[in-house]
Amino acid sequence: MTTDPLVKVPLITLVGPPNSGKTTLFNTLSGKNYKTANYPGSTVEYYTSRLLAKYNLSAELLDSPGIVSLLPESIDEKISVDSLYSHPTLGIPDLIISTVDACQLSRHLLLPKQLISSGFNVIIVVTMNDILAKRGLKVSENKLKNALDCDVVVINGRSKQGIEKLIEAISLNLTQTSEESKKIISPNFYAHNKNELVDTFNEIEKIVNTVYEPTISNEKNNLKSANNELKILNNNISSNGFSPDEITLKIDNVLLHRFWGFLIFLFVMGVTFTSIFWLAQPLMNLVDALFAELNSLVINNFDQGWFTYLVSDGIISGTGSVLVFVPQILILFIILGLLEDSGYLARGAMLIDKPLSKIGLNGRSFVPMLSGYACAIPAMIAARTIPNRRERLFTIFIIPLMSCSARLPVFALLIAYLIPRDQAWMGGLVLGGIYLFSMISSIVVAAIMNKFTKKIFNAEDTSSFILELPAYRIPKLSSVITNTYNSSKQYILRAGPIILGFSLVLWFLTFFPNINPKVESAGLNSHQTQNLERSERLEHSYASDLGKIIEPIMIPLGMDWRIGVSLISAFAAREVFVSSLALTFKVTSETDEDQSTLLKSLRTAKIESTGEQLFTAATSLGLIVFFIFALQCLSTVAVSKKETGGWKIPILQIVIFTSLAYTMTFITVNGLRFLGIN
Amino acid sequence: MRTAAELKYKERGIISEIDTSHPSSKRIIEHGFTPGQIIELVYQSLFNDPIAVSIRGTLIALRKSEAHCIKLK
Repeated sequence: MTTDPLVKVPLITLVGPPNSGKTTLFNTLSGKNYKTANYPGSTVEYYTSRLLAKYNLSAELLDSPGIVSLLPESIDEKISVDSLYSHPTLGIPDLIISTVDACQLSRHLLLPKQLISSGFNVIIVVTMNDILAKRGLKVSENKLKNALDCDVVVINGRSKQGIEKLIEAISLNLTQTSEESKKIISPNFYAHNKNELVDTFNEIEKIVNTVYEPTISNEKNNLKSANNELKILNNNISSNGFSPDEITLKIDNVLLHRFWGFLIFLFVMGVTFTSIFWLAQPLMNLVDALFAELNSLVINNFDQGWFTYLVSDGIISGTGSVLVFVPQILILFIILGLLEDSGYLARGAMLIDKPLSKIGLNGRSFVPMLSGYACAIPAMIAARTIPNRRERLFTIFIIPLMSCSARLPVFALLIAYLIPRDQAWMGGLVLGGIYLFSMISSIVVAAIMNKFTKKIFNAEDTSSFILELPAYRIPKLSSVITNTYNSSKQYILRAGPIILGFSLVLWFLTFFPNINPKVESAGLNSHQTQNLERSERLEHSYASDLGKIIEPIMIPLGMDWRIGVSLISAFAAREVFVSSLALTFKVTSETDEDQSTLLKSLRTAKIESTGEQLFTAATSLGLIVFFIFALQCLSTVAVSKKETGGWKIPILQIVIFTSLAYTMTFITVNGLRFLGIN
Repeated sequence: MRTAAELKYKERGIISEIDTSHPSSKRIIEHGFTPGQIIELVYQSLFNDPIAVSIRGTLIALRKSEAHCIKLK
């Protein structure tokens, strides 16, 4: 960096309504080298970046979540607005670039008008002029500039037309304002008055009626159609705007069809949902295999001391359990990103709003809930887009009930145990049944919880659903990939340390105090001996002590301390349950036959105190039910705490979902026994 | 007085006023629903709610309960 650190770099903030081309402009100006900046005490991330060097202008650029006006509705919006007036670390912006859609001036000029009257230094950037040009019209920079008394630049974000002019305007503006003394900025209170909002719109309408001009063109047809559009605009002052995009209307005749629209929505979401699993599975297996390989590489090549095991079983396996979900999160975000960018997700939210509002949720809760089937962590972060506080908290609250993919290995093992090997198709059926049961029960739980949300969340119930349905466009893969990259990075940075930290704690509990167990190794190869040692170590570990302490509450479920230990281990990450079960049942082989040997030892396992068979149909189904309901993931708890801003909701989640899981398991196991199924 | 919630499929109306006592009225005005504007009910979902109306050249989806505060001439 050649910049003198003593010279303060000017701060430029990008502001604009959703769908106004703000993010495209940000990417054009900053390239891809941006970093996230947290707003202290909140979860909203900003992207900040230096302007690209090729523009030869030293300034810090800050992107903010899209807002419609300076009066915030959602948490995102509030923080976005607050940071305009004074960002605790970045200060008041020296310049605000306010993006507006050329075709939507009559709606989008509200924000820049409010910004200007609050005293900000504003440059208005008019985007999407290519779409306006198709109607034979353009926006007059000069007329808009004179009407609003601020700089106006017309650009085309996608083809980067007009960017140089914008840079010129920025540098001229910055040199002028640095000479002037800074204006005093007062928060825009007038917008609280709804009548004045209407007045502002009336002023905007007058401006909009004067700023459109026909594009200069030799083609007579073009001129004719432009004049037509202008005539419609001018004669029809009351409508003040264009008719909606025709192609969009045609597509929506199908996608928002009263009957087919909903079916198509279910189909699209079904495809998204299943592809989280089918597309990601090979990649997840790869990650899994890689870390298993690394693990055994370390164990086989170093001393068999505690430190080796700390590295292999603690750090390497812990890192593996963080990274194993990355493929799923990548695929989920790419698909959702493409749907979002095309304009379809807003329609989806509209279609599903009614059923979800019946159980106290919102159309915008749908995407977070769907993401919950991959992993609760990105799902909770996705819930930030819900403007209503109660609905947002409630969505976060029930996300752990969505059957996340970490439960899949557990279900797979228990299904394999229950279903004879030659009837694999039945396994798929049972798995489908499990997901169906989990969906239905989360709806029931949500409906019941909905009665108490006022007390729990302490928030006013002014449920609202007002959402712009943007014109359809072909999604831009590069911006989707950039967003996906950032979201995945967020997941790793946020969940990673917690999962890893807890893996280390659990490693400690399962490894100590019996570091060097004595085992009968005659007739066993070194690999089998190793596994036997591990089992022995676990059996006399702190974790098994814990398991024995909780055994009294496991007995009514038909389970013993060994399952208890595995359930405790599963707190690091649910899929650990399977490997931990293998250890507690002293499965010594670690080949492809692993699962079948584990299954064999599960079949012969007996409850020590009574001698009854441990894994009956009843207890296995009970365990499945337990995993459907229980919140057994500490990273989820940590993210829930961060996203809800306190311990109240995560603690309620642990207490309610765990006791629900216990009760439902108790009912399942004893109910089945009562019916004679054992 | 009729409201936007009572519009039939593909029916147009002119806004006369916004009921400012409604909790969502501020957001509704901010999206450009102001007196004098022509709106049209363009789409309805399977459950008739929410509805999508065109306003100022854009489609906005909103719940019927919220459309109630948009009074028509």
